Amino acid sequence: MPFNKKYIRNFCVIAHIDHGKSTICDRILEKTGAVEKRNLSAQMLDDMELEQERGITIKLNAVTMTYKSKDGNEYVFNLIDTPGHVDFTYEVSRSLAACEGAVLVVDATQGVQAQTLANVYLAVDNDLMIIPVINKIDLPSADIPLAKKEIETKIGLSTNDVVSVSGKTGAGIEDMLEKVVELVPPPSGDSEAPLEALIFDSYYDSYRGVVVLIRVKNGRVKVGDRIRLMQSGKSYTVTEVGIRTPKELSTGVLECGEVGYLTATIKDIKDVFPGETVTLENKPAKEPLPGYRKIMPMVYCGLYPVDSQKYGDLKDALEKLTLNDASLVYEPESSKALGFGFRAGFLGLLHMDVVQERLEREYNLNLILTAPSVKYRVNLTNGEVLTIDNPSEMPEPSKIKTIEEPYVMASIMTPKDYVGAIMQLCQDKRGIYQDLIYFDDTRETLKYLIPLSEIIFNFFDRLKSVSRGYASLDYTLDGFRPSDLAKMDIYLNGDPIDALSTVVYRKSAYSRGLAIVSKLKEIIPKQQFEVPLQAAINGKVIARSDIKSVRKDVLAKCYGGDISRKKKLLEKQKEGKKRMKAIGSVEVPQEAFMALLSIDESNEK
Amino acid sequence: MADSLYVHIPFCAHICGYCDFTKVLYQEEWAFSYVNRLIEQLDGLGINKPLKTVYVGGGTPSSLPSDLLKKILSKLSTYLDESDYEFTIEANPENLNEEKLLIMRECGVNRLSIGVESSHLKFLKLMGRAHTFEEAKEKVKLAKKCGFTNITCDLIYGLPTETLEDVKQDVVALLSFDVPHLSTYCLSVNPGTSWHNKGYSEMDDEDAANQYDLILNEFRKAGYKRYEVSNFSKPGYESRHNLTYWHDEEYYAAGLGASGYLNGERFTFTKNLLSYLKGDFEGERETLTAKDLKEEFFLTNLRLEEGFSLENYEKRFGSSFLEDYKEQLEKLKLDGLLVFEGNRVRCTDKGILLLDRVLLSLFK
Repeated sequence: MPFNKKYIRNFCVIAHIDHGKSTICDRILEKTGAVEKRNLSAQMLDDMELEQERGITIKLNAVTMTYKSKDGNEYVFNLIDTPGHVDFTYEVSRSLAACEGAVLVVDATQGVQAQTLANVYLAVDNDLMIIPVINKIDLPSADIPLAKKEIETKIGLSTNDVVSVSGKTGAGIEDMLEKVVELVPPPSGDSEAPLEALIFDSYYDSYRGVVVLIRVKNGRVKVGDRIRLMQSGKSYTVTEVGIRTPKELSTGVLECGEVGYLTATIKDIKDVFPGETVTLENKPAKEPLPGYRKIMPMVYCGLYPVDSQKYGDLKDALEKLTLNDASLVYEPESSKALGFGFRAGFLGLLHMDVVQERLEREYNLNLILTAPSVKYRVNLTNGEVLTIDNPSEMPEPSKIKTIEEPYVMASIMTPKDYVGAIMQLCQDKRGIYQDLIYFDDTRETLKYLIPLSEIIFNFFDRLKSVSRGYASLDYTLDGFRPSDLAKMDIYLNGDPIDALSTVVYRKSAYSRGLAIVSKLKEIIPKQQFEVPLQAAINGKVIARSDIKSVRKDVLAKCYGGDISRKKKLLEKQKEGKKRMKAIGSVEVPQEAFMALLSIDESNEK
Repeated sequence: MADSLYVHIPFCAHICGYCDFTKVLYQEEWAFSYVNRLIEQLDGLGINKPLKTVYVGGGTPSSLPSDLLKKILSKLSTYLDESDYEFTIEANPENLNEEKLLIMRECGVNRLSIGVESSHLKFLKLMGRAHTFEEAKEKVKLAKKCGFTNITCDLIYGLPTETLEDVKQDVVALLSFDVPHLSTYCLSVNPGTSWHNKGYSEMDDEDAANQYDLILNEFRKAGYKRYEVSNFSKPGYESRHNLTYWHDEEYYAAGLGASGYLNGERFTFTKNLLSYLKGDFEGERETLTAKDLKEEFFLTNLRLEEGFSLENYEKRFGSSFLEDYKEQLEKLKLDGLLVFEGNRVRCTDKGILLLDRVLLSLFK
C-alpha cells in the first residue's frame, strides 16, 4: 500500500479507572485483526505483571493495525494507550499529544466521573477530536439515556455521534471504529519539512538500547539518519525504525503522521523523557515541540536492604529498574540505623509501591523503606538555602530561619453532598481554600492549596472514605510556601533513629508524635528488656510509650505430637526474624519504618 | 531402639472449646470398632517387647465403657517389662468409677492422670468440662482407695479473666489432694479450636508469667520439683514416659492421630476416624534432616530443669556444643537464659519461661 497519510488515524482511549478501557482496547485489536483472539491474554496492553494485578496501566504502549472500513478503504490505526493514575498525569498528556482523536469511554452504569473529565480536559488541550462511547451496555444496570445526558451536560459534547458498545461482548465496536474513520482527522504536517517527532514513551532493550516510541509530526526519519534530541541536546545515529503490530516490524522509515519506534543505541533512558523532540542533526527544526516538562519526583524515601550484605544487589537492581523507568531517581545515602542504602525519588506513593514490589519480587530483595518525605527548602540564618529530601539531614534548629514546603493545587470533584466533609478534610490537612466551581446540579469542584506532604499521608484514602468513593483528586505542584515545621526524632531505647525522623507541622506534632510511638509499640515485638520509645523535637520529648520486656514465651505442652509442629513454627519465626533489622540491640520489623503511613488518624488529635 | 509406646483413645463424652488434640464425641458403635482396629494396628507395628513405658492418652480414655477398656488395657499389658515399667492412663473425673479403676489396676496400670483443670466452677463451665471440683476430689480419693499411688493432676491457668487470686486458690486446692505429680498448663488458643474461632485471646505474657511464678513458688514450697516447663513431681515420680519425649528418644505410637518417632522418622497416623476405622492408618511422615535432629534435640531437652549433658550432645552429633554455638552461647549466658554446670547445660528459671527465644537463637 503506497503511503498516504490521509488513511492514517492516530487515537487513544481515555476512561475513568474500571470503566473498561483495557477491554475495549482488546476488542479493537481483535476487530482489526492485529491480534488473533486466541493470542489475547486478557487485556493485552497491560503487559507488566503488576499492572495486570492492580488493574491499572502504568507504562504506555502503542499498536499499529489496519482496518478495512465500510467505505472500502484500508486505514492504518495507531492506538496509543494511556496510564490511568494521578501519579502519571504528565505521561498521559504526552501520549495524547501524539494523537488527533480520542475515544472517551463512559461507563453506562456510572456515568461521567471526575477523572474522566480531567482526561477530557487534557484531550481538549491537545485539540483532539473526541468520540464519546458508552460502555458496558450489556449490564442490567446500564442507563444509556442518563450517560448520554451526562456526556452532554457535564462534558459539553454533542451526543449525535455517541456509540454504545460492550467491551465484553464486542457489540458496537465496529460502529465505533467507523466513527474513528469518519471523525478523527488524518494527521496534518509536512513530509518535506525538517523532522519533528514527539517521544511519548520508551523502554530499555538489552540488545538495542533504549527503544523510543515516537509520533512523527513533520518530516520523516529513517535508518542511518543522524538525529538530535532537542531538550537533552544529545545526538545519535538511527539503527532501526519500525512499527509495532504489536510485534515489532522493521520498516526502515517513519513518515510524517506515522506512529512507531526507533532505536539509536541510546544507552540511558533518562536521556529520552516523554515530551522530548527528535529532529535531524543536519536539518533541524527551529523549535522543540511544545508541552515538554521535566518529570520531577514528588516523594522521596530511603531504600535499604534488610541484610546489609545485599547492598550491591540492591544497587544492581536499581540500575536495571531505571533502565526502564525514567522517572525513578536514586542516589546512595547512609543511615546510622540502617547502614548503606539509597535515597530514591518517585512520582507518588503508587509509583513507590510499584518500585518496592518489583525490587522485592523480581530481584528477590528484602527491603526497608523509610517514611516517605517531600523535598523541603530550608532558609538558613546565614542566608544559605538548602534543599532537603531526607528529614535526618535537617540542620539544627538554631541555624534555621524558615522552612518552606511544596504545595499542590488540588482539584477535587465531588457530588454536592460531600462538599462539607471534604472541606473539613482539606482544612484538617492545612489546605487553603481557593475556589468552589459549580459543575452541574449535582457536582462541584473544590480547589485547595494543600501541602504536598499532607496529600501523601492518607489524603487519598480519607477523601475516598468521606465521599464514599465518589470524589476524585488531581493535583499539580504549586511552588513552595513557608510553614511552621520542625524535625521530629524518634528515640528507640534512648538512641535517635535517623531513619524514623520526619518533618512535622509543629501544631500537630504532639498528636502525631503520640500516634507514631503508639504505632511503633504495636509493631515492634517485645524484647528481653524494656524499650522506651520517645518522640522528640529539638531534643525535647513530646510523646513516650514503652515496650515492656517479654517475660514469658514458651510452649505450655510439648508431647510426642507437638514436637514437629513446634519446630516448624519456630523455623517460620526464624525466617520472620531475618526480615527484621537489628538496631542496637532491638529487633525492628520492616513495617516499623513505614509506621507513619499507617497511622490511624483517629489516634491523632 | 524404642521402649515406649503412646496409644491414643480419641473419644470424649464432652468436647472442650480449647482442646486441640485429635478427638471425637463418644459413640458406642465407633468405640467398639475403634478398639478392634487399634488392636489390629498394634499387632502390625512389630513392637519389640518388652516396653518400659506405655501411655494411654486422648481424647478421654476413661470415656470407654468397662469392657472395651479392659480389652485394650489387657492387650497393652502384654507389652510390658514386668520387672520395671510405667503404665499411664488419662482419665476425667466424670467417667471414672470404681469398676474402671479396678480394671485399670488389674491390667497393670500404675500411673493415673486426672484432668482436674480448675477448682472454680465458673472456669470449669467456661472450659466446657463436665465435672465439678468436688467430684474431682472424690475421684482422686477413690483412685487412692483402689490402690493408685502414682497419681498426677492437671491444672490449666491463664484463662480469660482469671486473676492471680483465682490461681492461688487452685494451687491450694490441688496441693490438698496430696498426689506426687502435678502438671500446670498455660492456656493456649490454637487454630482449629472453637475458642480460636470465637476470637478468644491468650493472656498477656506478663500476667501469665506472674501466674506461673506463683505456681512455681507454691509447688516448690510444698516439696515438688519442677522437672519440666509444666511438670512438677515429688522425688522419683517424674513421668518416665514423657521423659522419653523430652530426652528426644524414639517411641512407638498407635491410634487415631497418634504421633510416633522411629528410625529417624516422625510420623502421625491419620486424623480421619472413618479412614482409621477402615484400617487406613497412614497419615504424615517426615524424615528428619541433620538440622531437624539438632533443633528437636534442643526443643525437647531444654524443657527439662536439668537440661542436657555435653557428652550426650557430642555423642549424638559428633561435635562440641560449645564450639558449634560459641557465638550464640555468649549472649544467652549474658542475658541470664542459659547456665553451664559441670558438664551440663540448662535453662535458668528466666530462660525456661523464655524458651522459645532461647531456641530461636539456637536455630540456624
